[in-house]
Amino acid sequence: MLQYIIRRFFYLIPTFIGATFLAFLITQLVPGDFCDQKALEANVRPETIARCKARYGTEDPFITKYVRWMGDLLRGDLGDSFASNQPVSNVIRRPIYNSMILVIFSLILLYLFAIPLGVFSAVRQYSVADQTVSAFSYFGLAIPNFFFALVLILALFLLRGFTRDNFGYNELILPVAQMTSSGFEQMSSWAKIKDILWHAILPAFVIATGGIAGLTRVLRAQMIEFLQSDFIRTARAKGLDDRSVTYKHALRPAIIPFVAGIGGLLPGLISGGGLVEVVMSWPGITPVLLESLGRQDIYVVLGFTIISVILLMIGNLISDILLAVVDPRIRYS
Amino acid sequence: MNKSERQSKSQYQIAWEQFRRHKIALWGLAILGIMYFLTIFAGFVAPYGLNEYRRFPVTAFRPPTKIHWINPETGKLTRPFVYDTKDERDPVTRQRVYKEDTSKTYPIKFFVKRPEASYKILGIWRSDVHLFGVDEPARIFLWGTNNLGKDIFSRVLYGGQVSLVIGILAVWVSLLLGLFFGGIAGYYGGWVDDIIMRLVEVLDAIPGLFLLIVLASLLRDPRNPIAQTFGLKMTSSDIFLMVVIVLGFVGWGGLARTIRSFLLTLREMDYTYAAKALGAGDTRIIWQHLLPGTASFLIVTITLAIPGFILAETGLSLIGLGPSEVDSASWGMLLRDATARGLSIQFVPWLLIPGIPIFLAILSWNLVGDGLRDAFDPRKRK
Repeated sequence: MLQYIIRRFFYLIPTFIGATFLAFLITQLVPGDFCDQKALEANVRPETIARCKARYGTEDPFITKYVRWMGDLLRGDLGDSFASNQPVSNVIRRPIYNSMILVIFSLILLYLFAIPLGVFSAVRQYSVADQTVSAFSYFGLAIPNFFFALVLILALFLLRGFTRDNFGYNELILPVAQMTSSGFEQMSSWAKIKDILWHAILPAFVIATGGIAGLTRVLRAQMIEFLQSDFIRTARAKGLDDRSVTYKHALRPAIIPFVAGIGGLLPGLISGGGLVEVVMSWPGITPVLLESLGRQDIYVVLGFTIISVILLMIGNLISDILLAVVDPRIRYS
Repeated sequence: MNKSERQSKSQYQIAWEQFRRHKIALWGLAILGIMYFLTIFAGFVAPYGLNEYRRFPVTAFRPPTKIHWINPETGKLTRPFVYDTKDERDPVTRQRVYKEDTSKTYPIKFFVKRPEASYKILGIWRSDVHLFGVDEPARIFLWGTNNLGKDIFSRVLYGGQVSLVIGILAVWVSLLLGLFFGGIAGYYGGWVDDIIMRLVEVLDAIPGLFLLIVLASLLRDPRNPIAQTFGLKMTSSDIFLMVVIVLGFVGWGGLARTIRSFLLTLREMDYTYAAKALGAGDTRIIWQHLLPGTASFLIVTITLAIPGFILAETGLSLIGLGPSEVDSASWGMLLRDATARGLSIQFVPWLLIPGIPIFLAILSWNLVGDGLRDAFDPRKRK
């Protein structure tokens, strides 16, 4: 097992180098840099521009820049942000934490909703309930999450209008924007956590919708296939009750690929969350990434890209290992 | 027995018969048919031009125009008409409110000529006849107006010309790249396969949205290498082309991988060995034996890939990285007006309408794709 993990790990190294090279290459596609943008401002002396260029080495040839950046990266240094004049790691840390809160929250929601729905549908194949779930999963797969977010915001406001007129309750039942309430700084740390999670409910749910819909459909198909297989018939023939057949014998094998595939879901959630962050002004990766792109603050852009590449690789590694744990055939091939 | 009865049915005839029985997929096909039809005749169906607006009287954020059917004097059913709209200030909140001016009715007319909103159908036929309209100074805004007072109904129709078309174009770019790289990887195997698959893995390792955003924002810059090489000035049609290329480039990896694995299976089929034994060359085997085998699979893959591209384009447009906003509209761009309103969306809910065609287009392409997949799958035949 250890041997397998080590082999998988070494396998990642060329991909990582390739991905960093590609990312670096793309950011260098367009000539011009932050210092050139600065030159457009009023009252900037040519010496300031020259100092800026010398300091960040923006005029060096491509290979020099790449080697320098890669060398720094291997020492754990992501370079400096031009725009905010501080290390990139300082700039990107908070947005990455904030995005991870959403990603992990939506991952939990994903399993919390999809597994019961998939099982529920599968044991009632072709019933009205099953068809309702199917219809909802088509809906969930087709609605763009940024649009869904806007619709839910509108719905919550309409609900507030309704409760105000009928019950005199003039509050939104869930926060629809930002990550914290006003007065966040004065809260106790427990109240802070509660406040952030409270704000995360709506965006996390929106990000999870597509995944819930997809997972429900696949789990339903898997369960149906297993419920018709021979070992289930044997289990029933032994006189086991429905509960134990469904949950112990059919659900377990059907669910394994999903639990193991947790790592594969991470990139989708990181990507998928991006536009929801923009729409609901969640201070995550994507809003800051867009801002840095606009300013040609390329080391911040690269910093985000590299961290997400690493997160993605860790995710994939975890799912490979989990899959190997549950399926001995993979370990020995 | 006549000739046609003796002939066995082709794969596509069988698939079509299967598809026709798939009710939901047919619904999807019908919705798509209507949407693409409206897109082609957008200029005719839309009462106003894409960027047409008037500064006075103010038309910003007008709610959808009410259409009346009952004659107020006789109380009987009459031909549909609208009222002109006056704007007033709410005495308390100082907000602008629109009121109907019921002094005069304006019947809805059909096939009206409006030279100020002329259009071309398929870029060939110029015309200024519109399906419906009302006499000035009344205006008919079926789905309300945006912050500049532009008619959202007309803009949604024109938006289809970007949002519905870009997905189809991008899928071809992806398919070409995917077929080329997946094809040679799957057929030749060995080190060619290794290199190409590593490349796909590298592309996969960067989260899709990042790649999309970074590429789209860099390739809008007129200093980018593609524009430099081909001397493009990054006019709006150039930007459109770049968005297509970016979308296609980000999407080809997955296609290449599936094509490769499919070819790997086909390569081991007995008929491929038979062809080889008979002395057929690589080109003949690829074109005559392998590609026809992948055709049905490709049709399904393309159909299911298009909604992803539509989604990606609307997402890019939403953050202002889609096609140019100067002389085109896309549904994502129109939704941008809604996000710009932030939390006051409750006062202008009609700005969300452009999201509905996005949803319908993605849903219908998914339904048609699922239907095709079942129709081509011999195990699912009824």
